[in-house]
Amino acid sequence: MLEMKSISKVYRTEHVETHALSELTVTVEAGSFVAVMGPSGCGKTTFLNTAGLLDTFDTGTYHLDGQDVSKLKDREMSRIRNEKIGFIFQTFNLIPDLNVFDNVDVPLRYRGMPAGARRQAIQESLDIVGLSSRLKHLPSQLSGGQQQRVAIARALAGTPRLILADEPTGNLDSAMANDIMDLLEKINETGTTVIMVTHDPELANRAHRQIHLLDGRQIDLEMDEPVPLAGDRAATVGE
Amino acid sequence: MFSYLLLTAWRSLKRNPFLSLLVVVGIALGIGVSTTFVTAVYRLSLHPVPEKEDRLFYVRMDSWNPERPWRDSLPDDPPDQMTWRDALEVTSGDIPTHQTFMYKAELTVHPEDKDMRPFRASTRLCTNDFFALFEVPFQYGGPWSNAADAAAEQVLVLDHATNAKMFGGEDSVGRTLRIEDREFMVAGVMAPWRPIPKYYDTHNNPFEDPEEIFLPILLSESMEINGAGNDSNWKGYERNEYADTLASERIWIQTWVQLDTQRQKDDYAAFLDAYALDQRKMGRFERPLNNWTQETAAWMRDQHIVPAEAKTLLIISLLFLVVCSVNLIGILLGKFLARAPEIGVRRALGASRGTIFMQHLLECEIIAAVGGLAGLGLSVLGLWTIEALFVIDLNFKLDLNMVGAGMLLALVAGLLAGTYPAYRVCRIPPAQYLKAQ
Repeated sequence: MLEMKSISKVYRTEHVETHALSELTVTVEAGSFVAVMGPSGCGKTTFLNTAGLLDTFDTGTYHLDGQDVSKLKDREMSRIRNEKIGFIFQTFNLIPDLNVFDNVDVPLRYRGMPAGARRQAIQESLDIVGLSSRLKHLPSQLSGGQQQRVAIARALAGTPRLILADEPTGNLDSAMANDIMDLLEKINETGTTVIMVTHDPELANRAHRQIHLLDGRQIDLEMDEPVPLAGDRAATVGE
Repeated sequence: MFSYLLLTAWRSLKRNPFLSLLVVVGIALGIGVSTTFVTAVYRLSLHPVPEKEDRLFYVRMDSWNPERPWRDSLPDDPPDQMTWRDALEVTSGDIPTHQTFMYKAELTVHPEDKDMRPFRASTRLCTNDFFALFEVPFQYGGPWSNAADAAAEQVLVLDHATNAKMFGGEDSVGRTLRIEDREFMVAGVMAPWRPIPKYYDTHNNPFEDPEEIFLPILLSESMEINGAGNDSNWKGYERNEYADTLASERIWIQTWVQLDTQRQKDDYAAFLDAYALDQRKMGRFERPLNNWTQETAAWMRDQHIVPAEAKTLLIISLLFLVVCSVNLIGILLGKFLARAPEIGVRRALGASRGTIFMQHLLECEIIAAVGGLAGLGLSVLGLWTIEALFVIDLNFKLDLNMVGAGMLLALVAGLLAGTYPAYRVCRIPPAQYLKAQ
């Protein structure tokens, strides 16, 4: 599904160069559920943004679903994002003045789907997350968990092959976080590849595979070893 | 997709109504001022008889002083009026479809009603073709006959208002009116007619009303009617008799012809040149041959119907619109950049840069359209104010062309104001705001 080889990404300011990704090589099989872990600043989000074609990279190659995406134009990358990738964010990122229906509708509109098909897709995805009775609610009228469910419905509505979730439970209590994880597992069971960034080892353990990043590189960790905690860079570096 | 972008733009507008209103007001002010002056200049520049745009000609002949041109500043131009005898001669042929020569005078009308005092009436002395040439509408009757022209009969045409004043607006054809010391029979009454500008004679005031009374021009000889318009003369003469004026080099007559075909145009040009060469043999027309049949639009330009000040104001007003638009760039940029996180989300969900650019440009165009409508309202007020200041009816009204031009200007102003902010906002890296939202 996703194959990155020697991907590097450097953020430059006048005085500082930050290596967000350094020669990162990652492969994710189609249909897998992968958790990406690592301390803050290790490049998890940059990896996810690169994987989601939201950010460019400086060197390396990246094939998504068999297609080399390194030289695509903005319009082509936008189409791939729209058709193949669903995003779930920690802060939900719902558009505040659109109701639930209209929020889920956004990616379908950009795909140019006819109204009937859009309505059906929205209904089905909201059924999956259990919010089909809240079509007219604004995000501000929903709880955090419900908002994240709407965001998941939005990601699902376009039936993407890949879900990229950036700390999807980071703003939720443990009960709600479990619900969201259940949902992601359910989605994965339908064949959708899920890549989830998380700091939570328990949630990461529910994934098929974990990728650990440190200083923009993937590091090898045995699954039964303690996973470095957020911000615990020294422990990771020492290995 | 377009409808969705429009809907998104509309929602975005409603999200921050105060800023949106501020931009609308900015555009409205610019459009109000610019459309006012565009309309004024457009109205003044309009061809008064568009269907005769390339067929109606003002005749000019250079019978002026061989020592110096008619105007030192315009050495190539023939004089803008003609002598009596030249005008009489060059309208005596049968080449033009219609032709007339004429001048303006003031005569005293003596009403039958003893309660009414005699009054001075603006009068035009012309041939009967005047009415066909300038498509004058009639309410009653019509122009006097060719025979009446030739015999200088005492007939007249009244304008609508004078007929109302003298005869209560009734059909007065066949009734008589005393002018100076003679009785005139009414041949026709004009329907309301007010060409703006009064292009057939712009010498005094191109925006004054047409004359109240129209008489056969050959009556001038027997009634010795002096002109009340501008005149010029390069060669002195003794004014013992009225005939001396008619025979002089004084230029005071306007001459118009209608030439419908190229053949007529060529023939009439040749006719004028032949006439001038004939006159040269008699010691006149000593200047280089320079006879013009000038299209009405060019004639009006030469007469500066649109004052230079109006053109300057037009340019200033358009610059004002540009300044308004440029000022709005900052407001729109702030408004759009405040929405960066949402744009990040939309980009993540599949909106391309082009889509985001188009959405924001559409928002600007909606604002511009609303501002344009408000500006047109201000423009109506502005035009009304100009007319009130000039105390005459200039017919400065917004027609469909001007409404279209105003809206087009507004949309262009919207583009001018919105393109850079829309470009900036579509270039925002989406990843930068997704985490921070």
